[in-house]
Amino acid sequence: MIGAAYAAEDVGHGDGHGGGGTGLPDPMHQFEIRRLIDLDAFGFDASFTNSALFMVIAAALITLFTVLAMRKGALVPGRLQSVAELSYEFVANMVRDNVGTAGMKYFPFIFTLFMFVLALNMLGMVPYSFTVTSHIIVTFALAAFIFIGVTIIGFWKHGIGFLKFFVPSGVPFIMLPLLVVIEVISYLTRPVSLSVRLFANMMAGHTMLKVFGSFVVALGLLGGWAALAFMVAFTGLELLVAFLQAYVFAILTCIYLNDALHMH
Amino acid sequence: MGQALRLATELVAGVAVGGFIGWALDQLFGTAPFLMVAFLFLGGAAGIMNVVRTAKAMQGEPMPGHHLRNATDDDED
Repeated sequence: MIGAAYAAEDVGHGDGHGGGGTGLPDPMHQFEIRRLIDLDAFGFDASFTNSALFMVIAAALITLFTVLAMRKGALVPGRLQSVAELSYEFVANMVRDNVGTAGMKYFPFIFTLFMFVLALNMLGMVPYSFTVTSHIIVTFALAAFIFIGVTIIGFWKHGIGFLKFFVPSGVPFIMLPLLVVIEVISYLTRPVSLSVRLFANMMAGHTMLKVFGSFVVALGLLGGWAALAFMVAFTGLELLVAFLQAYVFAILTCIYLNDALHMH
Repeated sequence: MGQALRLATELVAGVAVGGFIGWALDQLFGTAPFLMVAFLFLGGAAGIMNVVRTAKAMQGEPMPGHHLRNATDDDED
């Protein structure tokens, strides 16, 4: 599907009106990666792309937001400070609920992760912007980093005993070799399902928004209103999905961390 | 939509990862395609196990925001 979209991109390159001759804009055009500054690092293409630009914007926005909001540090918080404290409380409670107090050591990481994914998702809702989390390589890199980190924490805390995590209890001895293999595969699917969930939700939502947006134009002044009304409702839903997926991403990281720290 | 998609990805991810491991082992030992077939089934089993676990977790899972209320009564280590 993605390959086909990229092929269509080559036909209608740059103007966003590929669409395979139907006259409608290409809904996949929004996911196109563009090189802004060409960079070459030891033979690898390390160009500064629009994807990288939006990651920088997201990181800058989060830093600006937290620093500006907490600048005064008033006892009775103002509006901006309330939002910053609310987001802190939200993530802190999430970590405490799912990992326990032992997990608060990893709170800075979870908070950064949640705010980063949330900022990227929300930036994607701004018209003409680029949704970084709609690219599976980005979400997979995040998920793989979490997966490797959590596995290292598991082995660090429990030593070689962490391998017992893969041995289900109360199983006949003959079944063990089979079940251990299944458990290991099940463990290895974690980064895949974690990354695919975020990527699929963001990409499906944004494609759908574009498709219905093009319906508004195609149906014109007479029939376009129905599609426009749907678009308004669907944009609200997409805002919810953008938040919910950031939440799910963070909470699953908490659950995986809990497995590594406490082994059920 | 979110929950159904979540269950679907769990199942597909299981089969995909199982298949990939089998394929990689096949390349390593030159036993194509037997290990891939075996690991596709094992991956399917892992996927189904993940789906059952996720579904169980979903049934007991509180709605988002529930966590804000009872923050203290959870230290079960």
